[in-house]
Amino acid sequence: MDAHSLSGGGRGPRAIGAVNWRGLWTLYMKEVRRFLNVFTQTLLAPMVTTLLFLAIFALALGGAGREVDGVPYTLFLAPGLIMMTLMQNSFANTSSSIVIAKVQGNIVDVLMPPLSAGELTLGIAGGGVTRGVLVGCVAGLAMSIFLPIRIHDPLTLAYHAVNGALMLSLLGLIGGIWAEKFDHIAAVTNFVITPFSFLSGTFYSIERLPADWQFIAHFNPFFYLIDGFRYGFIGRADGSVLVGYAVVLGVNVALWAVVHRMFATGYRLKD
Amino acid sequence: MRRFGAFNWRGVWSLYRREQLRFLRYAGESIAGPAMSSLMFLAVFQVALGGGVDPIPGVTLAQFMAPGIIMFSLTHSAFEGAAVPIFHDKIEGMIGDILGAPMTALEVIGAFTVSAASNALITGSVILALMALFVDLPVHNVLAIVGFALAAALLFALAGVIVGICAERWDHFSAAEAFLVFPVALLSGAFFPVANLPGEVQWLFRANPVFHALEGFRYGFTGQSHESPAVAAAFLLPMIAVLGAVAWRLFDRGYKLKP
Repeated sequence: MDAHSLSGGGRGPRAIGAVNWRGLWTLYMKEVRRFLNVFTQTLLAPMVTTLLFLAIFALALGGAGREVDGVPYTLFLAPGLIMMTLMQNSFANTSSSIVIAKVQGNIVDVLMPPLSAGELTLGIAGGGVTRGVLVGCVAGLAMSIFLPIRIHDPLTLAYHAVNGALMLSLLGLIGGIWAEKFDHIAAVTNFVITPFSFLSGTFYSIERLPADWQFIAHFNPFFYLIDGFRYGFIGRADGSVLVGYAVVLGVNVALWAVVHRMFATGYRLKD
Repeated sequence: MRRFGAFNWRGVWSLYRREQLRFLRYAGESIAGPAMSSLMFLAVFQVALGGGVDPIPGVTLAQFMAPGIIMFSLTHSAFEGAAVPIFHDKIEGMIGDILGAPMTALEVIGAFTVSAASNALITGSVILALMALFVDLPVHNVLAIVGFALAAALLFALAGVIVGICAERWDHFSAAEAFLVFPVALLSGAFFPVANLPGEVQWLFRANPVFHALEGFRYGFTGQSHESPAVAAAFLLPMIAVLGAVAWRLFDRGYKLKP
């Protein structure tokens, strides 16, 4: 590919290979710049809110040396809070991107270019994953100022961080494509995403739940994300770490297929 | 030409009703959303922290937390309920309809503040009713419950009016929320007894208006508090007056509202 064909060159259509790398990169960078442009809102605000949660739970314990299986409660809580804010921000990034574009009518600028369904999914979900992981890193670094955070297994930690961000980015895409108004996506956030990210073991070991609820928790993919991510820090998990690897990967493959299908058929995107 | 008396009651009522209808139109977000997250907070605290000693002797964890969670939702709703409509009207260019109406700054600010505060009280009442299903909430003094809820709602509605006027972009608004409203509302003793904290940080909480509103509000339920409700009221009323004066002055000058 010479310089002329890259720049358009005025010599006929630009040749695109099997993957439209330039288009994919452009879409991805658009999604990243979208949140970096308002980084106080998208990075610093979640960090401060996460620190506030940490402070509240630490203070609510009244300094009593509460532990979960020999781990100080604050060290148990910190990974849960990081994962919670990572998930919420990944979801917010992709869902708001699609809903705003749909409501304002500029979704066509994303649908018209020569980008396949797979490239659209990858580009937009990539932006959501980037924001989630960045927010997670910022929140984790801020917490490490106050807490002696240690990392037990960096690979498991990274695996669950990336898969968690991807799962919520894909859910955000599904929610955003399905929603027709801001109310719809706000309802999904309020009644699905926030409760699940709150109640899936962020704040407590599920061993504290009644037996029936513990059983149900094992069907909740968010539980495996939080549990596995926490294992990466403290080396202790409620469920099986190996099952966790498989569950989050399986869920992500399924969600990817759904999003791909939505873009391919133009569900609620093309009239 | 229609004549107005000293006070344009019809104008204030119209603006009040518009804000109330706006609030009710989005009841899913403005009432059901906070109700859902409040119940979640209660459940999380109960599961994560329950089973220990009572935070205050004779008051269970849930009885202690419920007023705190309600107060948090109330302050947050009042702030958003005032800031979002003003800011939204401003960036959408609709604020001209209000600036052009034959209403004084006091009437406009009053309508926005009272509507946001009363909307927040609706949300707070719904949450209270839902919590009463799960928690055995005593009622010691109804006047204190209503009075301190109203004071907190007015205070945060006025803060919302000021932020709505000053914000130029959405991220200004969310910065005010994340760096000002959340810290003030959350680090107030809503979720832990301030008396148990070390002495050197206690002054920080005692300077927080939400701490005082909460002391009075919780007193209304349990009949116990760290300070007398009169002290709490003496702290809150001047703050409401100051914020009210600032909001009135900003609107009267047309700060960031008129070109």
